[in-house]
Amino acid sequence: MNEALRELDVRLLQCLANDGGQPTVTELAGRLGLDQSPVAAAVTGLAEQGLVAIEEQALLELKAGARAERWEEGRCPERRVAAALAAAGGRAGIRELPAISGLEAKEIGQALKYLAQRGWATKQGAELVVGEGWSGPDGPAPEPDERLVAHLLTAGAQPAASVVEQGIDVDAALALLARRPGVVERKERRQRRVSLTQAGRARIADGLVAREEVSELTTELLISGRWKDVSFRAYDVSLPGRTPLQGKEHPFRRILEETRTAFLHMGFEETASPWVESAFWDFDALFQPQDHPARDMQDTFYVGRPENCDLPDEALVERVRATHETGGSSGSLGWRYPWNRQLAQRCVLRTHTTAATVRELARDPAPPRKVFCVGPVFRRETIDYKHLPVFHQVDGIVIDQGASFSALLTLLATFYRKMGFERIQFRPAFFPYTEPSVEVFVWMDSRQDWVEMGGSGIFRPEVTEPLGCRVPVLAWGLGLERLAMFRYGLSDIRELYLSHLDWLEEVPQCR
Amino acid sequence: MPVIGIPLDEFFAFYGQTLEVEELVEQLHRFGCSVEGWATLRRYRCARCGAISESAEQDLLPALCDGCGCDLRSDGAASFEGEVRVLKMELLAVRPDLFHPAGLARAMRGFLGQDRGAPVYRIEQGKWELTVDPALAGPEVRRPRIAAAIVHDLCFDDASLRSLMKLQENLHWALGRDRKLASIGVYDLERVAGPRLEYRAAEPDAVRFVPLGFDTEDPAAALTPEEILERHPKGRAFARLLAGAGRVPLLLDAEGTVLSMPPIINSEATRVTTDTRHALIDVTGMEDRHVERALNIVLTSLLEGCPDAWGESLEVNYAGDRRRTPDLTPQVVEVDPDAASALIGQRWSPQEVVELLRRMRHDASLAGSRVRVDVPAWRADILHPRDLIEDVAIAYGYDNLPRVELSGATFAQAHPREIACARARQVLLGLGAMEVMTLALSCEETTYQRTALPDEDRQVKLEHPISVEQTMLRISLIPGLMETLAVNLGHSYPQRLFEVGSVSLADAAAETGAREEVRAALALAGDGTGYADIRAMADRFVAEWGWSIDEVRPVEDGLFLPGRGAGIWSSGHCVARFGEVHPAVLENYRVIHPVVIAEFDLEFLSRMP
Repeated sequence: MNEALRELDVRLLQCLANDGGQPTVTELAGRLGLDQSPVAAAVTGLAEQGLVAIEEQALLELKAGARAERWEEGRCPERRVAAALAAAGGRAGIRELPAISGLEAKEIGQALKYLAQRGWATKQGAELVVGEGWSGPDGPAPEPDERLVAHLLTAGAQPAASVVEQGIDVDAALALLARRPGVVERKERRQRRVSLTQAGRARIADGLVAREEVSELTTELLISGRWKDVSFRAYDVSLPGRTPLQGKEHPFRRILEETRTAFLHMGFEETASPWVESAFWDFDALFQPQDHPARDMQDTFYVGRPENCDLPDEALVERVRATHETGGSSGSLGWRYPWNRQLAQRCVLRTHTTAATVRELARDPAPPRKVFCVGPVFRRETIDYKHLPVFHQVDGIVIDQGASFSALLTLLATFYRKMGFERIQFRPAFFPYTEPSVEVFVWMDSRQDWVEMGGSGIFRPEVTEPLGCRVPVLAWGLGLERLAMFRYGLSDIRELYLSHLDWLEEVPQCR
Repeated sequence: MPVIGIPLDEFFAFYGQTLEVEELVEQLHRFGCSVEGWATLRRYRCARCGAISESAEQDLLPALCDGCGCDLRSDGAASFEGEVRVLKMELLAVRPDLFHPAGLARAMRGFLGQDRGAPVYRIEQGKWELTVDPALAGPEVRRPRIAAAIVHDLCFDDASLRSLMKLQENLHWALGRDRKLASIGVYDLERVAGPRLEYRAAEPDAVRFVPLGFDTEDPAAALTPEEILERHPKGRAFARLLAGAGRVPLLLDAEGTVLSMPPIINSEATRVTTDTRHALIDVTGMEDRHVERALNIVLTSLLEGCPDAWGESLEVNYAGDRRRTPDLTPQVVEVDPDAASALIGQRWSPQEVVELLRRMRHDASLAGSRVRVDVPAWRADILHPRDLIEDVAIAYGYDNLPRVELSGATFAQAHPREIACARARQVLLGLGAMEVMTLALSCEETTYQRTALPDEDRQVKLEHPISVEQTMLRISLIPGLMETLAVNLGHSYPQRLFEVGSVSLADAAAETGAREEVRAALALAGDGTGYADIRAMADRFVAEWGWSIDEVRPVEDGLFLPGRGAGIWSSGHCVARFGEVHPAVLENYRVIHPVVIAEFDLEFLSRMP
C-alpha cells in the first residue's frame, strides 16, 4: 500500500498524466488554478520521492522596459516624427518638430539618428526632410523592433521562444534595439519543466489516494484523531515575525535591583527614609554647618508645604547643637557658630540617601549592623543632558567594633566587583561628614579612563558621638544613573526617564 | 566645584625639579587633589591696570580683566604676553594652603619625600600699629575684625603677581564665602605711610580715592565710596556686602590716605607691581579665626615662594584690647598611634606615625605612648585628631592598605516596601505590561488640569521650584503614564505600560509633615481597548494580593468618561481606581487612541488581608 499523498500532490500527478507533455511549473500552476509557490514546493517534494522528473532549462524572458512607454502601440518615436513631417508637406524646421509631432525636443534629438538609419528622413541644415525610405502617410510596415515592443506592451513579459511563435523576428528586433537601452529588458531565467517518471506513472496506475490538507490544527482534529489523516500546509518560515506585546523590566530598574541584591548578598538590611526630610537629618546630624553652601536654596529644594517638621528627642538635638558649636563631647573644636534650631526644623526634599542611613544609625547604633538604602534624592538642578532634579543613590553603613578604613576599601572593592567593575582605584577626598574620606574610581574600557563612582569614608566622630555610637561607622554613597548611562551607552541622562518604548523593547533584558 | 589653574613651570620651580605631567597628576591623585587635566593658556596684560589675565581660546581675549574687572574685549586694551601650561585642579575648599603653587609644592615635597616637618618662616616683631574703630562692630558696618602683616624683600614677576592675585580670589571664595567672612588686601609698603594705620568706619561720601584700575593722573578718577559702589565693576559686584550699612569700612595710613575700602577694593596708589619689594597684607572679616587663617595662608605662600623674604608682625588695637598678627603658633593636637592603627586597619608603630605625619608637613614627635602634632598655622582643616589620622593614611598611601574582611555577623533583610514593589512588578509584567520610570516631581497644572485628577490639596509644594513643570512631589502615578503615552505616539499600538513607585502626600500626622505611599499604575492604549480590559486586569491585580473584592462602585471624576470609571473596595478601603480615560484628557496629551488606566494602593494591598 502506498503512503497517502497530499491532495495537491495527487492533483499534480493527475494533471501531468492527463495532459501529458513537459509543462513548466508556471503552466502547471495555471492549469491547476493555483499560485506558483505551493506548486513549485509540491513539484520539488514529488521529485524527491522520484515520482516526477524536473528538467531545468535556460530561458530568455523579454519585457517592455520603461522607455517603451513612448512607443505608443509599438510605433517608435522616429516613426511619429516622420509621419508628422510627411503631414507637414515633407519638410519642416527642426525647431518646429516638437510642436507638430507631440514629442519633446530631447526625444526629437535622439530620433534624428534613427530617422537617418532607417532612411525615413535626413537633416538638411536647420530642416528635416522626408527620406526615400518613407512612403505614404504612415510609412513602411512596422519593423521587427516595433512589432516586438507592440507585442510585449500588450502581452506582458514573455519568453523569447513564445514571441518567435508569433512570427516576430526576435533576433533582428534585439539587434535593432541593441543600443537603445530601456526599451526592451532581457532577463536570463531558468525554467523548470516537469514530467512523470516511470515510478510516477506506476504510482498513478496503482491508484492515487489523497490526503486532506489543512492549515490549522484544531481541537476537532485532535479529539477525532483525524490529524493522522490530514497533512498540514507548510509555512514559509523565512518570513519576518511580528513584535509581541511584551512585559519587560525597565533597564534602570535592573541596575537598582542589582544594587539592592549586591548589598543583600553581603548581609545588609535595607532601610528607607521620607522624601520630605528635616534639615536636621539631612544636614545637621551629618555635621554640615548651617551656612554650608550645599544647604543653600540654590542647591537644595526647600519645601513650602509642609514648612517645618518635628525634631527628634531634645537630648539628641542638644548634643548635635553642642557638637556644631563647640564640638560637644566628640573631641572636636566644632564649627564655632551659634546653631539655629529653626533652620534644622525646615523641611527639605532629601538631598542624599545618607539621611536614611544616619537615621538608622541613630535608631539603633549597637554593633554589628550593616544597613543600606536605595532611593530617589532631590537636588535643585536644571534639567540637561547630565543633570536631573531627581536621581537615585545607594547609601550604606557598617557599624562594627572591628571596622576599619582598610575594611571599608575591601568592602567597596567587593561591591564594585559585584557590579561588574574589575579595576578599582581609591583616592583621598573630602566630604563634610566622613574622615578619612575616599573617592572610588573604576576603570572604564569604553572611555580608557578612570571614572568617579562615589564617595565614602568613616563617619566623623562629630556625627557618631551625638548619636551615641562609639564604634567606627563606615559609610558610602553612590549615584546610580551614571552607572546606567555607562551600561546602556547613553549620552543623555533624560533618556532614562522618557521611557521611549522603542528603546525599552530593544535593550536586551539578559545582558 | 570650581577649578584652579596651577601654572606648571611656576610649580616645578617651587618644587625644585621637573616631573612628567602624567607622573605629577598621578601623585596629586594619590595625595587627594583632583586633577581634571592640563591646558595651554594665553596670557594678556591689561593696559589699564597691568594685571595678567588668561584665555583658553586662540583668538579670543579674556572677557574681563582679573585685576580691575574691566572689559578687555570691548576696550581691546590688552597685549599678548605668551603662553603658559596650566594644571586644572578642583579647588579643595578645606585645603586653601594648596591654592598657591608654592603651597602645593610645599605639600608635594613632603608627600614625595624631599622634605619633612613644617618649614619655619622668619617673622620679626615690628613697630607698626593698626587701630580699629569700635564702630565697625556696630550695626552700621558689621565688619569688625582685621589682621595684618608686613613682608620684606619680596621678588615679584608677572607670573608670581598673578598667582598672588588668584590666591586672593580663591581664598575669597573658599574661606571668605565670597568675601563675606574674609577679604584680603595687599599693598606696596613703600607707598604706605607708617607706622600708625587706621581701620575706620566712614561716611560713604566723606573721602575720595582712586580705586584700582583707574588712572591716578585723572582728577575725575577719584571717587567717593558711594560712587565706587555704583560705578566700579568690583563695587557693583560686591555692593551687597555693604548693603544697608550706613557707613563704609576704610583702611587708612598714617597720613590719612585711603589704602582700601574692604571688602570691595584697594586704592590704585598702593597697587603691588613687579617693582614692589615690601608689602602690607590685611584681611578683614567677621571673626579672628577666619581673617587670621586667610592672612597666614597668604603670608606663608609669599614666604615659601620667595626664599629671601621675611615677615614683620604688627599690633592690632581694638580700643585697648591688643592682638599681635600674624600669629603662626602651631595648633597642638595629640594623636593616639594605636587608635590610628585600629581605625585605618594597618599596624603602625608610634615612630612610623610620627614619620608619616612629618611627610604631611606637620611637626610631630613622640610624647610617651602618644604622638604630639604641631599643626602648621596654614592648615585650616584640623578640627579633630581624626583629621590627622586621615593624613597618616594618605601619607602611607590608600593603595598600600591591606585587605581586611569584616567579621561581625549580620543578616540580610529587604525592606517590606521594596518586597511589595517587586511583587507588584512581577504581577504586572505577567500581565504583559512594559515597565516605565518617570520623575517623582510634577506640577499642579499637569496633575489637576491636564490629567483632571481630583484636587484634594494634599501635595507637597516646593518653595523655590526650578521650573514650572516641577513644583510639587507627585501625588499619583497616572500623570507620568499619560506623559509616557504622549512621548510614544509614534510607536505601534496596542501599548501596555505600568509603573510601580511612591507618591508623596502632605500629612500633618507624619514626622516630617508628609509621607510616601507606594502605588502601582497600569495603562492600556489602542483601538478596541475598553473598560472590560482594565476591569479584568484590576480584578486580577487585587486578587493576587489575597484581598476579596467586596464592592465595585462608580467613580466620577474628570479623568474618566462618566459612567466608565470605577473603584474596587476591599475591607472598606478603595484599593484600585480604574476606567476609560476621558477624551478631553486624551486631547490634552494629544493621544488619539482610547486609553484605559488603573491605579492601585499598594500601601494597603501589601498588608496582610
